[in-house]
Amino acid sequence: MSAERGNDPARLIQEIASGNRDAFERFYDRYASLVYALALRILHVRSDAQDLVQEVLLQVWRQAGSYSPERGSPEAWLLTITRSRAIDKHRSVRRIERGLPATGDPSRLEGGGKLESGTTQSDARLTLHGALQKMPEAQRTVLELAYFEGLTQSEIAARLGEPLGTVKTRIRAALQRLRELTGAKAPEGPS
Amino acid sequence: MNHDQWLERAEMYALGALDVEEATQFEAHLASRCGLCEDHLRETREALTLVPRSLTPVDPPPAVKARLLAQIAGEAAPVIPVRPRPQWRWWGMSAGAFAAAGLLITLGWTLVTTRQEVQTLEGRVAGLQAELSKREVPLALYTAVINLLRDPSTRDVALRGVEPGAGAAGRFLWNESGEGHIFVANLPPATEGKAYVVWTIAPGKPPRSAGVIQTDASGSGGLHIYPGRSDHPVQVFAVTLEPSGDVSAPTGPTVLVSK
Repeated sequence: MSAERGNDPARLIQEIASGNRDAFERFYDRYASLVYALALRILHVRSDAQDLVQEVLLQVWRQAGSYSPERGSPEAWLLTITRSRAIDKHRSVRRIERGLPATGDPSRLEGGGKLESGTTQSDARLTLHGALQKMPEAQRTVLELAYFEGLTQSEIAARLGEPLGTVKTRIRAALQRLRELTGAKAPEGPS
Repeated sequence: MNHDQWLERAEMYALGALDVEEATQFEAHLASRCGLCEDHLRETREALTLVPRSLTPVDPPPAVKARLLAQIAGEAAPVIPVRPRPQWRWWGMSAGAFAAAGLLITLGWTLVTTRQEVQTLEGRVAGLQAELSKREVPLALYTAVINLLRDPSTRDVALRGVEPGAGAAGRFLWNESGEGHIFVANLPPATEGKAYVVWTIAPGKPPRSAGVIQTDASGSGGLHIYPGRSDHPVQVFAVTLEPSGDVSAPTGPTVLVSK
């Protein structure tokens, strides 16, 4: 087996499913920084994001056997798990914060829009580049609200004070742009 | 609804932007095995990977990896289903094939005998390995609990049962190094497919899952929590009944909570 084949993500997942801890470590080395960046972007709190990395990768270890290549790439599988767990956790924190008196915990943000104090310089470089950077701001805003904050299209419309139809159009345009970048063809409906 | 509208919903569904009712309708449509929508959903999910890819990657601290590797070292390897070996279908063989098979059996008798011996030995080795692993795990566990009890900073917290686990009780040994051990008794059997999840809760922080506790027929069980990060002192310990062991926040009823 070549080294390249040995690091193929789908192959790694297959090996993880058979209990190969070395494959799991390679998978971690390959994806942990991506998972952590996404967790930080959604949760804003470093310690929570670190917990999330651990939870997500533990799920990969335990459920690698349930991964199906027919349903998407390993990266899409991993990021879907990460985003879903991060948004659940974020909502849970918000619920707890609403139900508890202020604790004065300096690491917890009031508004949730910035990283906690003490964030390292590298953490603060959670700037967007690539695909999103070149996207029109109105499209990028709705995409970010949905992807990073877990808002539905109705919630986005309410948040922005825009008509629902406008929000839908912007989201579709943003997704179309992403699909073009990945080379996906426009869907053809049945005749 | 025409199919273009379903495709539009597939995109919104991939993004998680559908309202609950629309999402439910779309899931019902997907359940009808609509290949177009399945393909479009998959392609949209792939396209959406560009969003987190637009963030600058950030390496988590090395301690995260160390904790994770320590955690999986304490777990059995994931179980994957093993396909049964194909069985010989003797009834499908022709007379000529029977003759050939008979000749092969005669000529290969010694080889077969040797193979049987090897298989017998393999079976004995596997049995011994299984027996050894059964003994190793409790020994390591007992040692870990004893070390926990030896540490004067370890707290011993009583847990009381709460409906639906009103008759249950438990103890939580907890050290702020993030290591602990929970004992439970008289928990009702978890409903099929559900799991008892252990939580540690620090003030102002989201509950942290410490893992799934397995119980025997009498409702007794234990779970060792291996050392992990603990920036905030834990004040509350709880066990909830969850739809699965992989929930990231408690959603089900609490059955045990610290007094």
